[in-house]
Amino acid sequence: MSASLEKGVRVLKEMIDAPIASYFNSCVHCGLCAEACLFYTETGDPKYTPIHKLEPLRRIYEQEYTLLGRLKKVLGLSKPVTDAELGEWQELVYNSCTLCGRCSLVCPVGNDIVYMVRKFREGMAISGHAPEGIVEATRRTVSTGSPMGVTMHAVKAQMKHVEEETGISIPLDVEGAEYMVLLSSMEIINFPEYLSAIARIMKHAGKTWTLCSTGFEATNSGIQIGVSDLAKTIVSRIVEGAERLKAKTVISPECGHAYTALRWEGPNLIGRPFTFKVQHILEVLDELRSQGLLKTEGFETDRLTFHDPCQLARRGGVIQPQRNLINMVAQNFVEMPDAGKMNWCCGGGGGVTAIEPAEALRIEAFKKKKSQLEAVKPDRLVTACAVCRTTLEEGLEHYQMNIPVVGLTEIIAEHLPEQGA
Amino acid sequence: MPTNDKDFKAKLGALPIAHQRHVGALFVQRVLPFSSDVRLKAALELALRADASDAELTGAYQAANTARVESYTRCGSVCDWADQAGHFVAKAVMACVSPAAEGESLAWEAAMSARMARTCQTVADGSGTENREAEEQYRILEAFLNN
Repeated sequence: MSASLEKGVRVLKEMIDAPIASYFNSCVHCGLCAEACLFYTETGDPKYTPIHKLEPLRRIYEQEYTLLGRLKKVLGLSKPVTDAELGEWQELVYNSCTLCGRCSLVCPVGNDIVYMVRKFREGMAISGHAPEGIVEATRRTVSTGSPMGVTMHAVKAQMKHVEEETGISIPLDVEGAEYMVLLSSMEIINFPEYLSAIARIMKHAGKTWTLCSTGFEATNSGIQIGVSDLAKTIVSRIVEGAERLKAKTVISPECGHAYTALRWEGPNLIGRPFTFKVQHILEVLDELRSQGLLKTEGFETDRLTFHDPCQLARRGGVIQPQRNLINMVAQNFVEMPDAGKMNWCCGGGGGVTAIEPAEALRIEAFKKKKSQLEAVKPDRLVTACAVCRTTLEEGLEHYQMNIPVVGLTEIIAEHLPEQGA
Repeated sequence: MPTNDKDFKAKLGALPIAHQRHVGALFVQRVLPFSSDVRLKAALELALRADASDAELTGAYQAANTARVESYTRCGSVCDWADQAGHFVAKAVMACVSPAAEGESLAWEAAMSARMARTCQTVADGSGTENREAEEQYRILEAFLNN
């Protein structure tokens, strides 16, 4: 057994906690998780059955923690987990799993399969079986703070661009501001319109806000690769920044997993409660709406539908705010089948877009989204996650579907009364 | 000559759509060298032609959109800011050939994306965040209006 495999297997053994043990014991092999996974439904290949993706972890559990399994191991009747096997499983644990959580939601015995995949990824990473793309992203996060190599210099360049465009000053490191706004690398690189929209909306609502030079990045590749120590480091940067600036609320951007990483896993990662509130930008906008601080004028008249990011709606529980906001500005909004908590993933989350060999499978899996869209035939598709946005655009382009994709925060900003913009 | 973006945007918005395409294309010409995509060059040439048909514009728009989508920096990939400048060139070209209704701000959108292309290029070459793209665009508009 190689040193890395030995270490990986040891980590996997350590990862098997009471919930995982009970999940393996509870599985009734019903197959419902298969029907919930777009990688299975769109390929028909049984290897993509979510619970099957955990088979090496299940065997380690059986061999190490059950009486019969230990006996079989002593008698040489069980099959040990090998390097080659973990290598083969990389495709199943990373390429064909976006951590979307649909399998966990449908499991009749309540097994949180995503939790198990996350734990499995920890051992895969340590044994050297994480995909190169995600490993590189993680290295960049350690060295620059961003998985895509975005530095404060680039953020300042975008700030300047937005200041010119909007005529609004972008606050940086302002102590005592009500909101500390995070950005994802994807927004800094591909979608400057998000920061522009934030500037206009905050001015309109009369709220104080700031970016933080030491904690601007929301993306948490530690969560994606499955390295808790790194995930903790990334969360800690944000926490230190927010506490230094005495922010009351930290706003997670239009990035699905950044929200779950910070809001739902963050306090557990750092081992204490936050001294500030964490909200997704859509929650903040809906709150401003309900307080009468966000007013819009005019309506989009074309047919709009909304793609719920999995981490926001299913894993994060944010479902109604986006609908309240769309209804402020859309006259012809239509829901896709399975919208809301049962929405189908775009196919790009959980680090999948960073894995080049996963591209063909991702495009194949996109057929599920294609069928959802064909059912309602929208003129435009609205979403609230930068990764979903680019994944959707690539899928639509591949299948030659002419449906522009837009961010919800931007649409809201476009409908602000002129004097407030 | 406009001296600020509010004035600049208002002047662009007042132009008929054909003129917006033309002046937008003039803005984009300054940053076109940041992209080597031949589809964008062809689309931009079309935007500069007064006799471009709706069918030609639709085809150019689709080609530019494909170039834009293909040039996204994917989540988790390292950002090459020079390539990213090319992405915003594609976005700017798209604006110039978009099948927008009269009154929409095609030229303004082209101007903003051209500025982002320039910004990306300044990040790529490490020359800081300062550039004179806005002033150059004001000058181009003024010259266009005076012709």
